[in-house]
Amino acid sequence: MKEAMSKFLCPYCSTTFGVFEELKAHAISDHKTESVPAPEGLIRLTVNREVHEIQVEPQWTLNYLIHDRLGLTSPKMFCDRGACGSCTVILDGRPILSCMTLAIECDGTTIETAEGIAKSNHPLLDSYVKHHTMQCGYCTPGFITTSKAFLDRNPNPTEEEIREALSGNLCRCGTYPQHPKAVLEAAKNLREG
Amino acid sequence: MKKFSHVNALTIDEAVSILRRYGDRASLIAGGTDLLGKMKDRILSRYPEALVNLKTIPGLDFIKEENRILEIGALTRLEDIAIDQTVRGGYAALAQAANRTASPHLREMGTIGGNICQDIRCWYYRHPNNRFPCLRKGGGRCYAIEGDNRYHSIFGGSVEEGCYAVHPSDTAPALIALDAEIRTSKRTIKAGDFFQVEVTKTTVLDEDEIVTKILVPRPPENAKSGFVKFALRKTIDFPIVNCAALISSSEGKVSAARICLNAGYVKPYRASRAEEVIVGKTFNEADAEAAGSAAVSEAKPLPHNGYMVQIAKTMVKRAILACG
Repeated sequence: MKEAMSKFLCPYCSTTFGVFEELKAHAISDHKTESVPAPEGLIRLTVNREVHEIQVEPQWTLNYLIHDRLGLTSPKMFCDRGACGSCTVILDGRPILSCMTLAIECDGTTIETAEGIAKSNHPLLDSYVKHHTMQCGYCTPGFITTSKAFLDRNPNPTEEEIREALSGNLCRCGTYPQHPKAVLEAAKNLREG
Repeated sequence: MKKFSHVNALTIDEAVSILRRYGDRASLIAGGTDLLGKMKDRILSRYPEALVNLKTIPGLDFIKEENRILEIGALTRLEDIAIDQTVRGGYAALAQAANRTASPHLREMGTIGGNICQDIRCWYYRHPNNRFPCLRKGGGRCYAIEGDNRYHSIFGGSVEEGCYAVHPSDTAPALIALDAEIRTSKRTIKAGDFFQVEVTKTTVLDEDEIVTKILVPRPPENAKSGFVKFALRKTIDFPIVNCAALISSSEGKVSAARICLNAGYVKPYRASRAEEVIVGKTFNEADAEAAGSAAVSEAKPLPHNGYMVQIAKTMVKRAILACG
């Protein structure tokens, strides 16, 4: 487990714990109590296969949590109104906009960002580089996450389906024609292993 | 965003009791794609003190068909409706409407309950920091009448509130054309009676009322439904005008029709004139166009939105032909 950013104080002996689960175990074994209630806003989520337990504020968006608190900078903040797709992350298999999701509502979810896809050596990476699917690159992580979620559901897509799936991602450099080519090739490489 | 308190409701009753406790100081959050935009822009003078999360209530995310009635839980994502084979087969207008709503990402987040309860998109109403305290916010005047009203109502404003902002939902006209019912925590409301223009409200729902599911009766075997939408971009954008139709026919002739336009009026607009014209006719360009003309015969466009009358007319025509 990744080091937690919150400190939890035992209500009986004031010992501090980095992880809430440890405090819980401590209260049960050392103080013979039932359990201590979890503090409000404490969430546990899996980001790129790492479990994070973190105390969040209700007004934090998922983008703020991932980008500014966990330091994974691939979900980009651009429009902040759910209109551009730059902040896309994969939440429980769905490509969603992290700017329009509250972090506090993501308790128990599994999230994948472009960093996680890069680590898994997904064929999308090579095909995106090969087809030069970026210019400034700011929108690229959003496209990659959307494409990955799409290929997970549809391993043998048509060009039309790819265009539809990526239609919520905006690119102001105008790299649009390259994306269907890159995704088609990645799909082919995925199928052929 | 400013700070607020956040409650995960575990049952409908709990959510209702929290709403009663907070009155109009709390908001419900499902997909959040509409609400968070409003909160980030601080468009209302009153910021919600608490958000009640409905996503933690189990059993509200389902699609099933029983006894020729399609039931959709209020928390069902639009994308799930758009790709569901049952919905696509028997209730095409609804599947197409869900499929044309916003962008793929927003469809993965937004729910059907939230889509019919969404707020208006008038750019004076939505201007950040409550710059225009308009009639719909309980203010003094409508800024769209004198201002830029290119996306406003072509069938006149609301008599009660004087507001010209259109209802932006894509699924609403499909539900009305399919004669759906909306089940709430208190009652069952016909989709056609669900929408209402009031200060900071777009529906007839009470302050402590929550949509729980949508019931759509299966159209008769000789009926077909369809949905068409005109927007500036194919995805992401809200409709300029959209239209859903459910048309029954026997021996090539229209025997019954339900046609509903949206984004052209302050509420979804039932095109009853077009329905009268098309009944008894066959599916052809000329008759469909005549029905389109009848649909907009009562249009009273504002200075900047005359073009929407032409679009509404064409949408009715295309929706009819899509059912042929």
